[in-house]
This record gives sequence, C-alpha cells and structure tokens, in this order.
Amino acid sequence: MWQKIKDGFEERAGLQSLIRTKLKDYKVPGGINIFYTLGIVAVIAYVIQALTGYFLLIYYIPHPDHAFKSVQDIMNVAPFGWLPRTLHIVVSNLMVIVIILHLISIFVMLSYKKPRELTWIAGVCLFFITLVFCLSGYLLPWSQRSFWATTIVTNIPTAFPVIGDYVANILRGGDNISGATLSRFFALHVAFLPPIFLLITGFHMFLVRRLELSTPPFSTSAEKSPERYPFYPHFFLKQVFMIMVFFSLVFFMITFMPTFFLPEAANTPADPLKTPFNIKPEWYFLAPYQLFKIIPNKFFGISLQVLLALIFLLWPYLDTKEEKNILKRPLLIIFFILALTVWFSLTLWGRHS
Amino acid sequence: MNRRSFLKSLAFILGSTVAASLSYPIVKFLAPQQNKTRDGKISIKKSDVPLGEGREIVLGGIPAIVINVKGAGYIALSRVCTHLGCLVEYDKNTNRFICPCHAGTFNVEGNVISGPPPKPLEKLPLNVQGDNIIIG
Repeated sequence: MWQKIKDGFEERAGLQSLIRTKLKDYKVPGGINIFYTLGIVAVIAYVIQALTGYFLLIYYIPHPDHAFKSVQDIMNVAPFGWLPRTLHIVVSNLMVIVIILHLISIFVMLSYKKPRELTWIAGVCLFFITLVFCLSGYLLPWSQRSFWATTIVTNIPTAFPVIGDYVANILRGGDNISGATLSRFFALHVAFLPPIFLLITGFHMFLVRRLELSTPPFSTSAEKSPERYPFYPHFFLKQVFMIMVFFSLVFFMITFMPTFFLPEAANTPADPLKTPFNIKPEWYFLAPYQLFKIIPNKFFGISLQVLLALIFLLWPYLDTKEEKNILKRPLLIIFFILALTVWFSLTLWGRHS
Repeated sequence: MNRRSFLKSLAFILGSTVAASLSYPIVKFLAPQQNKTRDGKISIKKSDVPLGEGREIVLGGIPAIVINVKGAGYIALSRVCTHLGCLVEYDKNTNRFICPCHAGTFNVEGNVISGPPPKPLEKLPLNVQGDNIIIG
C-alpha cells in the first residue's frame, strides 16, 4: 500500500529524478574546503531569523507605548518567549559574522574573478541588506539603544544638500523619531526587506549553480586534476556538518552567554529627552561609528563611507589582474591585511573610545 | 511600422504611463505630513535657573536648555547636536556641552569647540521680563 502511494507520487512529482539530477549528478570540484559551506550556513541563519521572527510577531506590539513592554513580556511572561527572542538576537549577530567570513574567504580565494563578478555583487548586496535588517530590527524594542541608534542613522542623509532633509523625513515619517518611525521600520523589517533579500539570494544561488563552484586556488592537485565529485554526499555532508557546528555555537551562546549582545541601553526604555552617555552601536557598526567621530566634516565622513562601500561592491571590476592565486599577488595581500587591520582597529577604537 | 513594433511601442507607452502615474502617489504616501510646531512659547521663573546651572525644557517638541551664565546672563539653546541629532548634555564644571554619541563639544554659547558637529547649536529667542524668562 505504502509502496503504491510512493510510486504514484513519484510518477507524478518525479522527486527521485530531481534528487538525482540536482544532487547526485551535480558535480563539485575536488579539494573544496569548509569555507565553501559558509553560504549555506548564512541561508540557514536567515531561515532561523524568519522562524523566530514569526513567533515574536505573535506578542510584539509595534507602538511606542507598548513596544518595550511587549518585548519585556516576551522575555518574562510568555512561556519560553525568551527562546525565540534570544535566538533572534544571537543568530542575527552570528549571521553577520558568517557573512563576513564568507566574503573574506571568497576574497582570499579570488573567487570573484570572471565570470563570477555578479555573484560577488549579489553577495555584497545581501550583506548590506543584512545590515539594514539588523538596523531596522534595532528600533523595534523601543529601548534607549533603539531610539538613539535610529536617531543617528536617520540623520545621516542630512549630510547631503538639497534632498538630505527630505530623505531623512521620509525615513522618520516626520521631523523626529516617533511612532511613525517605529511603524516604518517595522514594515521595512518584516514586509519589505524579506522579499528583496529572498530575491537576491535566489539570484545569488542561481549564479552559484549556473557557474558552478570555483576551484580552490590553494589545492594544486585539484587544479591539475579535472576530477569532480558528486554534490551528494561529498559536499552535502560537509555542509550538514558546518550547519551542526553553527547550531552548537548558537545553543552554547544562548545557554552560557544569553546577554552577550545585549548592553544596558538595550534594556532601558526609550527616553526621547535623554541620550545615554557613551552609547555605542552594535559591534559591526563600530568602525563606521568611529569614522564619524574622527572625521570632522559630516559630508566628507559619510561620502567617504559611501565610496568605500561602492569600492567593496564593485571590487571584481576594479581588480583587473587575471592571476587567481592570491599567494602570487603580494600587493593584494598587503592591501587585504591593511584593510582588515584598519577595520579591526577602528572597531576596537570605537569600542573603547 | 509593422504590427510587432506597434505592439512594442504601445506596451512601452502604457507601461511608462502606469509607472509614472503610480510614482507620484507612492512618493506622496511615503512623505511625512508637515506639522512643524515651533511657534510655542515657554515661561520659567528666574529662580528656577540659578547662576551656573541649566534647566532643560521642551519647546515645540525640540529638547532645549536654558542656562544662566556668569557674565553673559541667560542663554537658551537647542540640545539637538548638529552632527547626527543626539542630545547634548551641559557640564557645569567645564561650562561646556558634550554630545554622548560622537563626542562633539560646544561652548556655553553653543559654538563648536571640537569634534564632528558642522555648526553651532541652534540659539532660541529668549526674553527676560521681570521674574520670568520667556523662551520662544
């Protein structure tokens, strides 16, 4: 009976042949390492964010008078409410780390080289959208950190003449941060960003499959040998292993370090008449934050950051050398180390300034 | 013009018309309603602001402060930092304003001393009438 149902389903849906063609017949290069699995780990992190977000929506109230209390109630009153909230916070931070590591590994392996320029651009766009996700999620608990981080961010466009104030007012829904801002950021976080993110993720994954995985540059045997391995089980199990490592890390953090990403200002209700002293953004915004501090001109400080973001986005078209092994590109190695050092230094400086 | 070119042109014209006619309502929908309310006035007692002290107020929705400066009298300033909108704090010991977000500092008249703020704090009109200070 069961076999009959299975056969009938198979005859109509053709799942077996789909699995065979998409997983077993799909070949990946030999010598691929665990860094190749970071993309799927980022996708899993996004799925966790979506699922935990759905649960948070059940109790969260996007209104200035109720938002903070509703989040406190999720943590303290709703049975196991702390679980989706803590997962949402921890995974959002780990997701940023995973995407940064993914981008670094792609950069070091020079996998953005032709014909994969668009794959890089889509990946960097996803990174930027992830940051907007984090930022728009910031505001929702209506805490001191939410309020003042949003004040700063929505004031950034005012650095640009003519349209700056208008854009800032559109972002805020008025001259100041208010309930209108909360509604806008809530809509952005739960309704506008997810389909944009999914669309670009789809395009990114389509390109990855279409152009196939790049050959690891450091594995000389793989470069020499044209041998390729089936995606399943060769690479699939590597991905599953890394996803399990990610889950282990998530559960370690929510068990032993649940407040690691929650400073005091994130647990204090928003006060529009008091900016907390020495307020800091999340760790991934510390470098831009410090740049804002040390560059004395607002327009120049913001323009410089926009320019750096554009260089990062369009890097495959700026790096025109054909050599695909970074070990044979000493200047690029120096540039890469310098860029990372500057980013780390600004982050640490921002943290302790 | 053959039939195919005509259909292409027609589709382009109709599509552009739809996009153009929708873009205006979308922009207007997203644009905030103008409700600037800076025409209010606030009156406080002189005795509420002793020499060397500051008194925080809210004028027309804008957080502000009135300070009693030795030698300069009463000064009313907006507390909104001209850099990225955080609220400055008055430090009576150093007689300066400091922004907690990006460490911009202003003197007691609101002029920039250091840090990234591009211009001075906004000065608010102030009148002293008898025992009262009228701001706004």
